[in-house]
Amino acid sequence: MRFNEKELVFLSRQPSERAAELGMRGPKKGDVVKRRVVKLIVNFLFYFRTDEDEPIGALLLEQCRVEREDDQVFSVVFLDEAERKYLFECDSQEQCVEWIDAIIKASYEFMRKNLIYYRTEIHRLTGKDPLEQYGISDETRFQVNSGLPPLPPAAT
Amino acid sequence: MKLNERSVAHYATCNSPPDKTGFLFKKGERNTAYHRRWFILKGNMLFYFEEKESREPVGVIVLEGCTVELCESESEEFAFAIKFDCVKAKVYKMAAENQAAMESWVKALSRASFDYMRLVVKELERQLEEVQEEARSSQAKSMLKKHQLQLQGATFSLQNATITGPSQEGVSSRENGVSWSKPPSVPNGVSNTQGDCSERGDGVRPHPVPPRRKTNGGSLESPVSPGTGCFSKLHDWYGKEVAELRIEWLQSQ
Repeated sequence: MRFNEKELVFLSRQPSERAAELGMRGPKKGDVVKRRVVKLIVNFLFYFRTDEDEPIGALLLEQCRVEREDDQVFSVVFLDEAERKYLFECDSQEQCVEWIDAIIKASYEFMRKNLIYYRTEIHRLTGKDPLEQYGISDETRFQVNSGLPPLPPAAT
Repeated sequence: MKLNERSVAHYATCNSPPDKTGFLFKKGERNTAYHRRWFILKGNMLFYFEEKESREPVGVIVLEGCTVELCESESEEFAFAIKFDCVKAKVYKMAAENQAAMESWVKALSRASFDYMRLVVKELERQLEEVQEEARSSQAKSMLKKHQLQLQGATFSLQNATITGPSQEGVSSRENGVSWSKPPSVPNGVSNTQGDCSERGDGVRPHPVPPRRKTNGGSLESPVSPGTGCFSKLHDWYGKEVAELRIEWLQSQ
């Protein structure tokens, strides 16, 4: 599958939500833990050799599950291949918890759910659809259930 | 650079709802003819397939950081381009089948970034907090009314008893212990706190009542024990709460 690698590498140089040197182990049998610089940027997790500027790889964080494996270890698993785990070893429990939290919140799907919740609540409390002023109230991705009609327009 | 391609491809076809789908013409990367492809937009990822029924995408365009522009093309009408800021960046030239489709795709693609989504979510989060805060302060306003009524009741009953002492003009300093004060005279005996509030209309807060000492629990919450009938304390306590509520209410306007 083709992808715009140069642009992705450029993205990996942007300010990150979170970055740290962690122990990382790939999902294949026989993979060992290696020190990597791990950077969370939008919904991608980039990983670099500790002395290099170009990332070795990127993980798109959609349709994945993050789990606590141990006191200081978390894993990322993709739903289409649940047996393959990427493991990350942190330096402290606190760091581990913070990374888990950050990765869970780093998906587009997660944001979409929040947005729909806020939209519905504001509409419930005020009778107004807060997205109307932005002209985006009928976008598919903001509907409560894709396929169902959008919220009725505000009464005038 | 490696990418978790299998999982990314799975994301394209899994049951999470796509944000937009449709046919577009895409200018080839090696073969510069325009090829008709089936496109699926999910989040900040634009997948393209050879056919609508294809199970695996031919490729994906990560849209983060892109700009979308209309462009002139000799061969294609309704052409637009997806551009990136980085050095030697790719330019993806696309064309829609009609004007409406072009406008719709340009709109969708230019708002597809994670950053944009994050902005909208933060804005709605802020709006919801505002709405919830207003709901809380209107609850406080109705409590305010309740206190005013209670205070009127207290004023009336105390005016019937005889209490004398130095008159209270606006802000007064309190010392430890009880100090009696005559409530300022108001024509129809309506709550003193209203009078106080209008004097403090510029938002100046009254001096905080000093903590009571050596009383039951020493807390300001229950300033008057049933037996004392100490109106000044009751008055001060309600006056402070009322002034605070009023300031809160004013600030929320």
